[in-house]
Amino acid sequence: MALILTEEEQALAESVRKFVADRSPLTSLRQLIASGEPYDPDVWKQMTAQLGLAGLTIPEEYGGVGAGKSALSVVLTELGAGLVASPLLGCVLAAEVLLHLDDTAARAELLPKIADGGLVATLVMASAAGGHVTAAGSGDEVTLTGSVSPVLDGAEASVLLVPAENGDGRLGVCLVDGGAAGLSRKRLTAVDHSRSLARVELAGTPARELAGDATAALAAAADLGNLALASESAGAMKACLDMTSAYARIRVAFGQPIGAFQAVKHRLADMEKSWELGYAALRDAARAGDAEPGRFGVAAAVARVMLASAYADAAVDTVQLHGGIGFTWEHDAHLYYKNGLSNKVLLGGPGDQLDRLADALGI
Amino acid sequence: MSEDFRARARAWLAAHAPRRSADEDDSTATGLAEQKAFQARLYDDGFAGITWPKEYGGQGLTSAEQIIWSQESRHYDLPTGAFFIGLSMPGNTLLEVGSEAQKKRYLPKMLRGEEIWCQLFSEPGAGSDVASLQTTAIRDGDEWVLNGQKVWTSGAQYSDFGAILARTDPTKPKHNGISMFIVDMHAPGVTIRPLKVATGHSPFNEVFFDNVRIPAENLIGEENKGWDAAVVMLRHERIAIGTMGAPRSNPLAFDSLRDLAAGLGRTNDQGVRRSLAELYARGRAMSLFALLLREETLAGRPPGARGSVAKLAGSDLGRFAGNVAADVLGDQLAGFDSEAIAGVNIAIIAAPGSAIAGGTSEIQRNIIGERVLGLAKDPGVDRATPFNQLRVGTQRQQ
Repeated sequence: MALILTEEEQALAESVRKFVADRSPLTSLRQLIASGEPYDPDVWKQMTAQLGLAGLTIPEEYGGVGAGKSALSVVLTELGAGLVASPLLGCVLAAEVLLHLDDTAARAELLPKIADGGLVATLVMASAAGGHVTAAGSGDEVTLTGSVSPVLDGAEASVLLVPAENGDGRLGVCLVDGGAAGLSRKRLTAVDHSRSLARVELAGTPARELAGDATAALAAAADLGNLALASESAGAMKACLDMTSAYARIRVAFGQPIGAFQAVKHRLADMEKSWELGYAALRDAARAGDAEPGRFGVAAAVARVMLASAYADAAVDTVQLHGGIGFTWEHDAHLYYKNGLSNKVLLGGPGDQLDRLADALGI
Repeated sequence: MSEDFRARARAWLAAHAPRRSADEDDSTATGLAEQKAFQARLYDDGFAGITWPKEYGGQGLTSAEQIIWSQESRHYDLPTGAFFIGLSMPGNTLLEVGSEAQKKRYLPKMLRGEEIWCQLFSEPGAGSDVASLQTTAIRDGDEWVLNGQKVWTSGAQYSDFGAILARTDPTKPKHNGISMFIVDMHAPGVTIRPLKVATGHSPFNEVFFDNVRIPAENLIGEENKGWDAAVVMLRHERIAIGTMGAPRSNPLAFDSLRDLAAGLGRTNDQGVRRSLAELYARGRAMSLFALLLREETLAGRPPGARGSVAKLAGSDLGRFAGNVAADVLGDQLAGFDSEAIAGVNIAIIAAPGSAIAGGTSEIQRNIIGERVLGLAKDPGVDRATPFNQLRVGTQRQQ
């Protein structure tokens, strides 16, 4: 099974790269920061209606592209490199949970709308410290109470899939409409300007519990979340590496391009090494996602572990190796630095991933 | 075609490849005789030198077959360690820059394991800066006369030939006055002494050359162009080391350390669990990167200087694994009376060596910076100065 990109994947990467350069360069992220909007609806419309990105992992029978996880990884790598703000991640995770549950009515109703970009959905995933939700009642007549934060795209989503624990300790995934009574969403101050996060509060909010194995579906979503964040981080880390290498080639100090000095050169060499290792692990996870689902969980956790800290460190080094200019607001380095901090901890940081890996490896 | 090859390779390995013996020391006479017999059979049955041209004893196949062979033979411990250096370094270098006569004379016997080769570059005063080497070769009629000392020579004690770098013109800047030769390791004036390292073992040698005479036709490439040939050989070395993968019996491998931790009752410690999981992740990433490089080679994109990334990453992994092993052992590292811990202990002590052998990690970072990322070269004040006016090694300022 090959790790290198197929010709189709190369073409896909190329088209998304071009889209990012034309339609969502970093200057547009700065416009979003100024306006306070979470994302540009025109860009989102093109990403979905035109490029079909929200439906990449949704089968054709539900109006998706059915291209699979490797294609998704290729796309997210390019979007990550450009720090493109969009509610794609929430939609992808919500779709994954729907695909792993057994609720055919919910699938038929929601997946086609997610695939064409008409519906923004999200999965309310909570870490241990992030709060939890309890459910009362059953079937179509559930009420949810609790508070969770941070939730990806939680303020923009019209539909929320909420894992909730029943009185007898059973876990279920519940469907909550964005307009439901007792639901409140408040956007958080996100460290990463390209990510929209919210606190979601439910106070006796009516919901419908979806049929199927919630634990398995949430585990699948956690694995896909690892692949997604690893993909975005790989793309962004490569952008940092390219940006900083280019600067080290042209910036002169003490009569030499600064890349001639080992204090700079060796740091960049280490960044290149970490990126190569992370990228190889990412390609393996992407392939396993499509061809060897049995080892996808471990492979995706390995990719996430290899890229989470590596990208965060590379982003700090990008600031450092640019010197003073790298710490200014005008320079793009801080955008990656903040993205790196956020990507490292969302959906379970390196420590959580190592704990999961240790369990899976029988340690 | 390729699948035919896979089936043949699989059948041959199943029939002939022996299990690794308890005695892993490949330098003993018996071990060596067995290795030579195995390599001869490998050659006679058409599995040695898979990508080398047929006229020099190779199989004339492509890197596709080479990859298939690597995949299939990974399941065996082939007793071919004594030939690894010769084939991957001097062998590949002769193929690229050797004369027709040299290729015909040496490559088939090297491939069949009849003649074992070593590599003689480093000196006590020339390690990372190997172009500062002080061994001299002076022309005398149809011969060269070699004097000097080499160090860190693996396998010198059982090698028949060596590829050696010597200074042939000290009045030129250091890179421009070096030549590469084939030296007969049995020639009069060659003295080989084992070199004891930090573990207490002697995996390397120091080699002394005292008026050793080399026939003129043993010059590899052109006179004073030895540095170009050395760069070719060092590139092959890094790729070979970076992509060879850890042996399965490595006491610092994930499986070994997980079992050790379980045996010592250390797997309830969250720190130990996380260290082991991270070791697994890093080891996986390292072998996947090596696989990616092989796939790119197959697709027509040879790794070039990215071999240094593999070399650096492999050394880092060794250091990290040593730290994980120390975490697992806890205070059992400080004092022990079991064979199992003794083996791990030796591996921990040996771990830093991989960041020195075959080019230090610092030199790999220079190569990655300059040849992968396109950064400016080190200022290099010595590049234009005649060698005999330079201060080298630990010489005091004149």
